[in-house]
Amino acid sequence: MGPRDPELVPYESQRVAYWYFAVALALFMLQLLVGLWLAISYAFTIPQEIVDALPFGMTRAMHTNLLVLWMLLGFMGGTYYLVPEEAQREIYSVKLAYLQLIAFVATGVAALVGFTFGWTQGKPLLEIPTPLDFIVVVGALMFLFNVAMTVIKGKKTAILGMLLGGLTFLALLYLFGMPFYRNLTIDWFYWWWVVHLWVEGAWELVTAAILAFVLIKVTGVDRRVVEKYLYIETALFLFTGIAGTGHHYYWIGAPRAWLWIGGIFSALEVVPIIAMVIDTFLTQRRHGIAIKNKVVWTFAVGTAVGHLVGAGVWGFAHTLPQINYYTHGSQVTASHGHLAFFGAYALLNLTMFWYALPRLRGVSRFKTSGALWGFWIMNMSILGIGIAMGVAGVLQTYIERIMGQGFMNAQAQMQFWFKVTLFFGVILVIGAGLTMWKLLTQRQSEETAA
Amino acid sequence: MSNKGAFYIFLSGTLASLAIFLFLTWDTHRQVGALTNADKLSEQVVAGKHVWEKKNCNNCHTILGFGVYYAPDLTKVYDRIGPDAIKTAVMEPEVVYADSIRKMPNLGVTEQEADDLVTFFEWVSNIDNNDWPPQDRSMETAAQRRLSASGVSPGAAAFKEQCMACHSIGGAGGSNGPALDDIGSKYDAAAIARYVRDPKAVDPASRMPAQGSISDDDLQAISDFLSKQRGEN
Repeated sequence: MGPRDPELVPYESQRVAYWYFAVALALFMLQLLVGLWLAISYAFTIPQEIVDALPFGMTRAMHTNLLVLWMLLGFMGGTYYLVPEEAQREIYSVKLAYLQLIAFVATGVAALVGFTFGWTQGKPLLEIPTPLDFIVVVGALMFLFNVAMTVIKGKKTAILGMLLGGLTFLALLYLFGMPFYRNLTIDWFYWWWVVHLWVEGAWELVTAAILAFVLIKVTGVDRRVVEKYLYIETALFLFTGIAGTGHHYYWIGAPRAWLWIGGIFSALEVVPIIAMVIDTFLTQRRHGIAIKNKVVWTFAVGTAVGHLVGAGVWGFAHTLPQINYYTHGSQVTASHGHLAFFGAYALLNLTMFWYALPRLRGVSRFKTSGALWGFWIMNMSILGIGIAMGVAGVLQTYIERIMGQGFMNAQAQMQFWFKVTLFFGVILVIGAGLTMWKLLTQRQSEETAA
Repeated sequence: MSNKGAFYIFLSGTLASLAIFLFLTWDTHRQVGALTNADKLSEQVVAGKHVWEKKNCNNCHTILGFGVYYAPDLTKVYDRIGPDAIKTAVMEPEVVYADSIRKMPNLGVTEQEADDLVTFFEWVSNIDNNDWPPQDRSMETAAQRRLSASGVSPGAAAFKEQCMACHSIGGAGGSNGPALDDIGSKYDAAAIARYVRDPKAVDPASRMPAQGSISDDDLQAISDFLSKQRGEN
């Protein structure tokens, strides 16, 4: 990172975001590499000696925890980048922002090393042990305090309100995953308060705020128009998403009313996503010529479309209880998880990275070809992964759940598709590597504006 | 529409959904005790849940359909394979899954931990969860159809209960042990009974655990039934 160009980065404290983004990118790569090992474990027989030394469950915990950590660091970096420009003042405390980054990274490293020694809470995605949970809570409080103080002392905008609301909601929900629950049903009930209400609630608010910021910057659309859509779209997201949590409560020993509420509300979850895609394309039609930053715009449209395909279509496909009875807990869910997380949240983070990182590095114009190649390689390969896992899931549903054959009989028939998954996984690593390299080394050129 | 109007839409939509959600959450807490037999949730069940978490089981297996899809769902494992097979699988996975294309790690589960896990699984299997998963229900119906057709119901019933976790007939059943469609052309009833009681005494290379807990009547019924399985149906 060179000296700051005030034309590109108006506030000194925005530079904190650089380190959040850099760490997030490194963790993203690590997540993908661990993912390759998981795909190998699915596609081939791993000898007992290796399985004993390096259990699948341990590496799987790393894969998902890396995902959560890099995305949260990306959101926080994005927040630190946009808050000064929105509030029109420096961040309340830059030191606190760095301290908080160190706290999160230290927790992440301790958690990953801990997993290799079997130090785990044993709940998927929320494995990190209680002492580390407390550091996460302290880090989150530092972050919220810092952002809130900046907003209180500065200009208040709808984007900031949405962002701060989403971040507070996000932090509060984390608390429900911390206690030990004696009853397994209650345990999973509140597990979804964290996981579902994050990705279909709090994270949607953060995403909407970050996207609104980027759209105003790269399209020049009037702020009031963007803010109005921000309210209406997030209203739809939360209206369908909160009660839609019920689609996880069909088969856990909760009352039957959840089948109705979960089915109806979660089926509607696709509506706000369709609205978002239409809104994006209408914006492009109206402002097509004015869009200056092709790379950021491509990633932003990609986020909307990825959201629609991964979360919307793939989610809708198995959300109704009549279908979910057969697909629940199969590779269909894994397929949906990969497409939705990448399409909605990996691309959202990368959109912000592509907006902010060149600016933070003092680059106002750069060649677009590498960035666009990265975009298409990543998206085509994740689509390949989603389809391969999806086919495996349909096979599993048919052989195991409908024909009633044993689990491993079904898995044996699915192995070909796990090999296909591995193939696309390798391509994804290449695309992500190209994207990372371009993001961190892009040089000034006369081709496009940042 | 003004931005203020949009804001009120946002607020009322969110609060409406939240109200429904919190009401049903309250209702869940009200009913969960009866649905999960909370009165049978003993300290040993909780100890088993601690083992489940300590050994990170949920990052390969699903339970109630949640977790990871690398290994079978364990919601109804107690009904499906029973306490003895669960204990053997968690304590000696390298033996049980020696021929499997996917292995289970030996996580050093102690006898006590295995007993706790079994108790935990027994409790979980009785959760009233709208009859999920379908495979454990349909496995039963497919097996019943296939076995009732062979017309030897006492042996068939005992076979289903005691053996089908690992062995299959007509494609219904487990795959840890060999399929037994043709077992009757190789062994007579007495040989089968001897083998089941102490597999290693008959075949030192056998990996099947000795079945001490099957009653003599059941064993005889099973052996008779199996000796009639000659692959023609």
